[in-house]
Amino acid sequence: MNGILIDGLSFALPLFIMAIGGIYCEKSGVTMLAVEGLQGFGAFVGAFAAVLAAGGFSGSSQVPFYIAILCAAVGGGLFALLHALLCLRFQANQVISGVVVNIMAMALTAYLTKLLNRLLFGATSDKFVLTVSYRFTVPGLSRIPLLGAVFTNVYPFEVIIVAVAFVAWFVMYKTRFGMHLRACGDNPHAVDAAGRQVNRIRLAAIVICGALSGLGGICFAYSISANFSASIYVGYGYLAIAALIFGNWRILPTLGACLLFGFARSGGYKLVQVLQMPSSYQDLVMILPYVLTLLLLVFFSKQNGSPRALGEIYDKGAR
Amino acid sequence: MGEEYIVEMRHITKRFPGIVANDDVTIQIRKGEIYALLGENGAGKSTLMSMLFGMYEPDEGEILIRGEKVKIESPNHATRLNIGMVHQHFKLVSNYTVAENIVMGMEPVKKVLGCIPVVDIKKANSDIRALSEKYGLAVNPTDVIENINVSTQQRVEILKMLYREAEILIFDEPTAVLTPQEIDFLLEIIKGLREKGKTIILITHKLEEIKRIADRCAILNRGKLIDVLDVAETSTRVMANLMVGREVSFETEKKPADFGKVVLDVSNLNVFNKQEFQVVKNVSFQVHEGEILAIAGVAGNGQVEIADAIAGLMPVRSGKIVLNGEDITGASIRERTLKGISYIPEDRQNYGVVMDFTLSENLALKNYFKEPFCRKGMLDNRAFEENSRRLIEKYDIRSGQGSGTVVRSMSGGNQQKAIVGREIELASPLMIFVQPTRGLDIGAIENIHRQMIAERDRGRAILLISLELDEIMNCADTIAVIYNGELQKIASAGSLTTNQVGEFMMGVRQKETEKSTAGKSEAGKEAAGKSATGKGTAGKSEAGKEAAGRSVTGKGTAGKSETGKEAAGKKVTGKGAEEKGGGEE
Repeated sequence: MNGILIDGLSFALPLFIMAIGGIYCEKSGVTMLAVEGLQGFGAFVGAFAAVLAAGGFSGSSQVPFYIAILCAAVGGGLFALLHALLCLRFQANQVISGVVVNIMAMALTAYLTKLLNRLLFGATSDKFVLTVSYRFTVPGLSRIPLLGAVFTNVYPFEVIIVAVAFVAWFVMYKTRFGMHLRACGDNPHAVDAAGRQVNRIRLAAIVICGALSGLGGICFAYSISANFSASIYVGYGYLAIAALIFGNWRILPTLGACLLFGFARSGGYKLVQVLQMPSSYQDLVMILPYVLTLLLLVFFSKQNGSPRALGEIYDKGAR
Repeated sequence: MGEEYIVEMRHITKRFPGIVANDDVTIQIRKGEIYALLGENGAGKSTLMSMLFGMYEPDEGEILIRGEKVKIESPNHATRLNIGMVHQHFKLVSNYTVAENIVMGMEPVKKVLGCIPVVDIKKANSDIRALSEKYGLAVNPTDVIENINVSTQQRVEILKMLYREAEILIFDEPTAVLTPQEIDFLLEIIKGLREKGKTIILITHKLEEIKRIADRCAILNRGKLIDVLDVAETSTRVMANLMVGREVSFETEKKPADFGKVVLDVSNLNVFNKQEFQVVKNVSFQVHEGEILAIAGVAGNGQVEIADAIAGLMPVRSGKIVLNGEDITGASIRERTLKGISYIPEDRQNYGVVMDFTLSENLALKNYFKEPFCRKGMLDNRAFEENSRRLIEKYDIRSGQGSGTVVRSMSGGNQQKAIVGREIELASPLMIFVQPTRGLDIGAIENIHRQMIAERDRGRAILLISLELDEIMNCADTIAVIYNGELQKIASAGSLTTNQVGEFMMGVRQKETEKSTAGKSEAGKEAAGKSATGKGTAGKSEAGKEAAGRSVTGKGTAGKSETGKEAAGKKVTGKGAEEKGGGEE
């Protein structure tokens, strides 16, 4: 049972932070389907930075990990500028722009990974090898029955994510910026009339989304795969979008959706183990979160809290 | 002399591709007066004020504020010059509270932990409450926008201007979306603002409002300033003639009615809306050949649902609809159209036309599948063209590029002309007109009334549903009054006075069979809340609140008419916005 909680949490939290990114973007009125590409690109930049930095530190040092986290956020944010450019500057269709960003991230990072490996390390490899991040257990608290699992075998990034998520919530609901951002997603004309620049706020939202997605991506790279390669694109970005839709574009319910996905996944793995099924069934279990998505869609498709102006291109001149 | 005026616009000219919106217009507005801008749709009133509010720059001419020459670059600049504007489209964030909407952009800020700035919503609420009380606006700062009616939303817009310390307040067609009682309230508020020293510019095409509150009135026609009049010394007839540029008749001439056989026979009709609320209760009536039967009622009392049920847009729970002796209760919409129903819907932009289709396509929407438009499964473009050319000519539909014009780019009045033309051409024995003149100016209204009466004289049965009592008194042969989903009274038009109809509309005069007044008006409120906002609980609690408030303050007739006001306001909520999309220009 503890195993399910521990693994579920370490999967759910990166998903959660990506979903928060999506919420930021969509709450500002810009459709965000690019989470998948952004997390991948962020992870790529982070992993590359970690590999570069690894030479300067001893094998067990955690500094490259933190550098990676930072760079992943920056990389995701920068790559999100592409979406911003297409959506805001050129007023492209936001769905198409999102798809373009996804495809481009996949192709670009695969190419760059090989190229950089060859140029810098003289190796023919399509991945950056990372370690699995170390984990820690909080003494005392971890002894609490059941709840103790939350404090057992914790990845450091989980703490970072919880902190960042709290800040994200605070900014969204308590500050002027957050208030303007949410207003942009409902009626951008009202924001404009209040003397704020809609596109500037949306730009910020998109970049924040990129940064949070990148953060989520590198966390997956440090936990699930222990490297960066094209295998990072397995659809977790889309899962994050599904989570934010089930969460009705609100942060706390979205956390619930993410946890559900996380536990479904870890529970599935456990099931395979307990029933001693052949390992090929592991792959089958991977589909569990997606099956759950389908089921939830059936029940939740009616509730619709999507921002009113979502996907609407804001043209100041139009009346 | 110069300082006497707070706003001066001198020799303003503004051209748009193809038209001169303002041609050498000069207006001078004194501090503390209510200055009306009167003109038909497209006369250039809104354009002129858009320049004062910094949305456009004039091509020629200058603007002086408090005697100082200024170049107003943006609405924000205008705000800094203490100019505020209430637009036709409210610019409100629907899921924010009243206070959040008002303070947005200049929120009061407090520091938490001594350094992190957060929005001080408590202070915002108390500031707005004080401001609302000062000007008698009756707005609750913590209500959420989507739960309050249009009239209240408009007052929120007024508060937004006042919060930004506006001295010059521009109202763009403020009464277009309001019910008569709400209009009264608004006009009182505007008068109150003048008493507190504000200068008010009122854009309108409604003469009666000008007569009631304005001090002076500038009349525009086709971009030119015709005259500036002292309202107290001018009759509405003179103003109307100047505005339209010719003699207008307020009353439509019509021959006495000559009824033929029954065309539409509705019996015991019951309709429930999506929220499972009964909106039409046991309604029965008949419409004859050569008869205009008008259903009068405050918005949201079930009249539109009756029309929708007859046209097939809404399912009928029980009852019978018979057209020319044939039961059509369960027929599809197309079957009904083919059997002879023309329908001019209330929400013309959603149900009347396909906005992104061309005019010629829209003019054939009801018969494109028949010869000559469609031969052997292929559409014939030439037939569309021909049909559209004929209708454009016959019904004077004006548009930029004739048949090929995308309907979205046409003015609301011309969209309506296109719909009316298309529906009349169907030559259906039954024609349903729902709010046919909403948002149109006097000239267009006159036109539609004349066509409607001409169709009656041709022996068609006409069902007219309108919120404008004048329209009903003017056109109808028979008047049915609906309140709370029930017909209160059906009588020939001559036998009822406007006041009597009004009393039936408010549910003040009860149908003979009804006894308990209280229970009923309560239910009416519920109905309003539900059918209007479509948000079940939200709407309902709102209505409940209103009810509570009213029962304390209102008594007798006054209290009840207030109720009607709330009911009406709700109904308009969603629709108001689209309606006005094409209203001007």
